[in-house]
Amino acid sequence: MLRASVACEAAGVPTVSLVCEGFERQAGATGRGLGFDKLPIAVLKGHVDAQSYDDMVASFIEHTVGQIVSGLTTPIEWDENGTAEPCALDIVASGTIDEIHRIFVANGWSDGLAIIPPTRHRVEAFIAATGHDPWRVLGTIRPSGRDVTVWSIAVNAVMAGCEAVQLPVLLGLADVLLDPHYNVQHSGNTTGADAIIVLNGPVIGDLGFNHGPGAMRDGAGAPNTVVARWLRLFLRNVCGFTADEHDKATFGNSSRVVLAEDEEALAEIGWEPFAATFGHPAGTDAVTVARMNSGAMIGSVFGSTPEQIVPYLADGLARITGWDLTHVYGLGQGHYRPLLVLSPVLARIFGRAGWSKAQVQQALFEHARIPAWRFEKLVGDWTNLTAGRRTLVDLVGEGVVPPVFAESSDPDRLVPIVTSADKLLIAVAGDPNRTNAYVLSHDGSHGDWTSKAIDRTYSDDLVCRIDDRPKP
Amino acid sequence: MEPSFEVVWPKSPLGMQARRPAPRLDTLHGKRIGFAWDYLFRGDELFPVLAEQLQRRFEGVEIVNYDVFGNLHGPQEHELVEQLPAGLARHRVDAVVSGNGC
Repeated sequence: MLRASVACEAAGVPTVSLVCEGFERQAGATGRGLGFDKLPIAVLKGHVDAQSYDDMVASFIEHTVGQIVSGLTTPIEWDENGTAEPCALDIVASGTIDEIHRIFVANGWSDGLAIIPPTRHRVEAFIAATGHDPWRVLGTIRPSGRDVTVWSIAVNAVMAGCEAVQLPVLLGLADVLLDPHYNVQHSGNTTGADAIIVLNGPVIGDLGFNHGPGAMRDGAGAPNTVVARWLRLFLRNVCGFTADEHDKATFGNSSRVVLAEDEEALAEIGWEPFAATFGHPAGTDAVTVARMNSGAMIGSVFGSTPEQIVPYLADGLARITGWDLTHVYGLGQGHYRPLLVLSPVLARIFGRAGWSKAQVQQALFEHARIPAWRFEKLVGDWTNLTAGRRTLVDLVGEGVVPPVFAESSDPDRLVPIVTSADKLLIAVAGDPNRTNAYVLSHDGSHGDWTSKAIDRTYSDDLVCRIDDRPKP
Repeated sequence: MEPSFEVVWPKSPLGMQARRPAPRLDTLHGKRIGFAWDYLFRGDELFPVLAEQLQRRFEGVEIVNYDVFGNLHGPQEHELVEQLPAGLARHRVDAVVSGNGC
């Protein structure tokens, strides 16, 4: 809600933002990232969803209303100089590798795993190998309000253990984070989704990404692991997702490595790569990213025909889908797009039968269904995330969801988990001969699928004239 | 002896220029207070309580309710937040209470 408050303040209208206890620092950081420091907040004690109406109202009147009045009427002491921060080339720490490690952990600059110390020499060498201008600004990132520079990408890449040849992939990922469609500012929401990066194109083979056994396991492929670690470090250091600022995950997920598709298997069965769904033709290097809430195994799939295996795969999709349904409508209309990862041997069952990916999606759409009563309970009863407690019949009447959600008013009727078949996404990777699949539920508009091409042409912006450039 | 390293900062400069917050009001008497809601966390129950409290404590307070501005966290977040300044002007809003972040 700070974003709404900032729009009001910018228009000259004073505001107070209501936040539950525990969100004070995030609210302050969000305001700062949007250019407004020290905007008044009023704190709701505890969490309103866990309080009776009477307790909530009594606490609100006793503790919060006074803060609202004060916030709207008490002048704000404002310092136009803000807080002094280091410049890009400043040395912020020195010492042995253990000392650097401790300093970075203590300052919240590291995830706690060992880092390669980002010395100026290492960062310059990393950039020199790519020819990019270190001070080029790709954009200003939310929610921190910090500039995304080639330098900042490279510093975190050195820390993560990346190689310079991977920089184009990181630049593609930075483009994703900067795209408003992705909504990176929600990356610290309390339900704690984490990103998955799907990689396509010749870059997979050229840079040695693993698409085979252990495709989603930490450490099974070094490029998969370090590129994904770069994303986590970049979200921390440049986007501001630390517990002190914007990360409010209640639990969070373990980090996910880059999921590289098995494009040889795809070509064999005549399916387009995952990135084609987002407009990148086969043969294009591309990164596609979304934030996923949870994952589950669909193990030991049995069957040799599509008809035999679709029900079990669809069951996995339905089983993994819970409160995420608020992204079918409410928090995000039609944004829910879960991901099914098929091992190549399972994908080949469809290929042998001549099924296109669209046919598989349609079959899954027809089978991945849940009772209407469960859908409504999940979004408007067990949670309180859909204001007004509207039924699916109401929502169809309002034109918010398609008619398939209200073919009758029977609460036991089966309804889809997405608004159309093409929203069930499919990728192919993993051990080529194992009959397993994996499903991931999606955080909808809070990290929506966003895809960017990777440009691996050598940049002639700079052949490391770092000393000749104006320094930030 | 172990080697020593001198390292650079892993963050990046702020791209947003610091801006001065709007002037606060000298009083809430006779003011029009707008409510901005993300349609989450029981705002539909709390905002009516706040309206009553403000009107009880300050004479002549008028409320511009949240439905005027729409769901500021939903699928139309970007568009509706962009439209906020025009809405505030149209409804002559003097101050805003926005919520809820939980």
